[in-house]
Amino acid sequence: MSTQATERTSRLHRPTPTRRRRRSRWQNVKENRWSYFYIAPFVILVAVFTIYPIIASLGYTLYQWNGIGSPTAYVGLENFRKVLHDHIFWRSFGHTFLYTAVLVPVQLFLALVLALVLNNKRMRFSTFYRSVYFIPAVISPAIIAVVFQLLFSNFGQNIDSKLMSMHLMHKPVDWLGDPHVVLWVIIGIGIWNTLGYNLVYFLAGLQTIPEDLYEAATIDGAGVRQQFWHVTIPGLREIGMIILFLAILGSLQVFDLVQVLTGGGPFYASSVVNTYIYQEAFGGGFSAAGGGGGASVQPNVGFASAASFFYGLILLVITGGQALAMAYMRKRRREMNAAAIEEARL
Amino acid sequence: MQAVAAASAAAAGPALAGCRAAPASSGNPGGGNKKSSGGGAGKVVYWDWYVSQSPWVKNEVNLFQAANPKIQVNRTVNATGAYDKLFNLAQRSHNAPDVFMITTTTVPLNDQVQKGWLLPVNQYADSAWVHQFPEYTFAEGSNVFNGKIYTAPISSTSAWVQLYINTKVFKDAGLTNGDGSVKIPKTWDDITHAAEQITKKSNGSVYGLGFGNSSFDILPWWVEIMVRGAGSPGGNGGQDLRTGKYTFGSDRNYKDVLDLIMEWKSKGYFYPSSLSISDEIARAYFERGKFGMTVGGVWNQPEWTDHKFTDYTLTSLIGPQEKPKSYFYSQPGGTLFAINANAKDPEAAFKWFSWLYSPEAGKRWVQKFNEDLSIFPADDDPSKISFKPFGEYVALRDLVLPGPQPWIKNPHTSQVVVNPVTPNFGNITTGIYSGQIKDTGKALTDLDGKMQQALETGIKQAQGKGLKVSLSDYAFSDWDPTKAYKWPIPKYPSL
Repeated sequence: MSTQATERTSRLHRPTPTRRRRRSRWQNVKENRWSYFYIAPFVILVAVFTIYPIIASLGYTLYQWNGIGSPTAYVGLENFRKVLHDHIFWRSFGHTFLYTAVLVPVQLFLALVLALVLNNKRMRFSTFYRSVYFIPAVISPAIIAVVFQLLFSNFGQNIDSKLMSMHLMHKPVDWLGDPHVVLWVIIGIGIWNTLGYNLVYFLAGLQTIPEDLYEAATIDGAGVRQQFWHVTIPGLREIGMIILFLAILGSLQVFDLVQVLTGGGPFYASSVVNTYIYQEAFGGGFSAAGGGGGASVQPNVGFASAASFFYGLILLVITGGQALAMAYMRKRRREMNAAAIEEARL
Repeated sequence: MQAVAAASAAAAGPALAGCRAAPASSGNPGGGNKKSSGGGAGKVVYWDWYVSQSPWVKNEVNLFQAANPKIQVNRTVNATGAYDKLFNLAQRSHNAPDVFMITTTTVPLNDQVQKGWLLPVNQYADSAWVHQFPEYTFAEGSNVFNGKIYTAPISSTSAWVQLYINTKVFKDAGLTNGDGSVKIPKTWDDITHAAEQITKKSNGSVYGLGFGNSSFDILPWWVEIMVRGAGSPGGNGGQDLRTGKYTFGSDRNYKDVLDLIMEWKSKGYFYPSSLSISDEIARAYFERGKFGMTVGGVWNQPEWTDHKFTDYTLTSLIGPQEKPKSYFYSQPGGTLFAINANAKDPEAAFKWFSWLYSPEAGKRWVQKFNEDLSIFPADDDPSKISFKPFGEYVALRDLVLPGPQPWIKNPHTSQVVVNPVTPNFGNITTGIYSGQIKDTGKALTDLDGKMQQALETGIKQAQGKGLKVSLSDYAFSDWDPTKAYKWPIPKYPSL
């Protein structure tokens, strides 16, 4: 057989790179089929309840539609134009960011302080206290909202009387009906409600910091404050970033607490983006307390989809920022580790 | 006037029109069934949003099932605020109940008919069934579409909102006449005086006025009883049918009333948490004497009666002067219950539907349960009403006159879809009360502009579909709001 013939034959039998890749990918899937099987339910749920609605809502953004029957009134990009010019949307947007801007730092600070206290091995009953602080986090925000709504609306006068008798106020306050107060009440409840999560995250983070570092720092003469700034904080930096971004995203998506507590009222004074989108999408108005003003808003699924999509883009940018920050931190850590190893070698 | 008003069908009363209702037809409950084979056995799934009227509904279900042992009525009572949403979702998922209360918040009735959601009852109802109702109960464009009957009212129109007065609170504040009876406010100034006296005499422990605005905007109800008395026939809807224009901004009564409410608020006459408590809680607080006056409807009464609270009185249409300058207005037609076009057992469904509309059920509605007026004037016999506050409510029928309606002039107007305006009047009243809207006049004028625009857009869209409608259909320049309007339509539909 000539060399040419041999080459031709071998070319014929040689799998093309693409085919080889395909086969190896399939083999990979086959070998790990149980892994894929286990993640299938999650993928299906995400596809049905997250990805499909996103894609479907994109279509709805182009229609004036009340959610009944098939959308027929095509309006093009009009819904997006309306969102951009809708002062109530932007007001809700502002409330959402205020909620986040206040809740996140306050809550993270409190969670860190409590975590430091509860991480003290000499503290008795620390497990009990951890449970106590975590309890609000496992209660549905809707239930919490109902309870606080009863407390502030129906028994608000009792609170007022007490505070007035202590000369802390000179006139009664409608806690969920006063537009200057209501959002702060919600923020306060929000801080209390999810504090437990961040407390547990910080506790987990604190427990990953090697004890040796504190011992070494003590031997080097570092005090408690110096240990906090030079051992604890660097040790928590990475998990702290995760906690921070989770807290920001969670706050930006606040919904159930506001919806049940005030429905966004009175007159949108506590409306956040998600309650506004919900009310536009499903009609109805301010529900529970809060002087809702019971906006009897009619369902406008097209507009709500546009608002939702627009807001989703903003959240996407924040999530992207989170990913970049994490990548930057990992890179920096790698560089620092490499530098430390190099220094040790020298 | 009383007779005319009683004969007229109810349909007014926006927000909680559903909180009133009334009974049924068929001289022979369950009868009047043109195509009935005497059968109708099975299950009827029935939805309503009657909470305070539940005792009446439960009683009717029991009586109906006793009379029709083969038919089981499965009732679901829904939250008023969620009903529209639930009903529309049920329609979308083809799980709508067999018999239900109509909701038109999202989908107008004519749209529902076009979508084939409702069963025309002509195929079951005979002429006797129709003629047992008073004249003008059925009207094309209201509850009849293309000659087919879909629903009917069970109540005739009364003054749908009233100012309730807690007698004990008034007496404690010394607001009594020479004979010991309480001084019922007849003018805006009377309310101001009473609220001031109650608040001052109790040293702030009792308030003159109170309401619960959290579940829905209730402030427009206050506006309703006050601007109508002042001569604004559009009430809290804002449209003056003499011109067909919205007049929230141009008619100074609206601003005057809202300014007065703000004055009451600033002087501390209102219960401080009024914005954040619900209407139900406000009713309970009124009952406990936390405030002396509140605005509500006749649906408040059964609950108070259950709690053995009967020490109150009521009035309505309170203007700057004692004599009202405009009234509540009734219209022909009216809606409440309907049958699902896809009811599994339409015959059984019609039997239950017909039972609800029977004069006997109406009599129990009025005389036994004191829920509201009946569509059948004979049921509203004051001599058979023993409960005084309910009798006072029945007497308010005198404040109702037949009024004009665009769809009477041109039935095509019922197909004009006017998209809602946000923020609406209710939102704006809350915005003003909560201090977030400072310039009341501008807010009201802006609202006029938006609502007029929405109406004109709706008309243009209807014209685009080939319907002959125009703005002039909404104007009745010869209408005198102090006199009964003569409806130019047949008294009964031809079957």
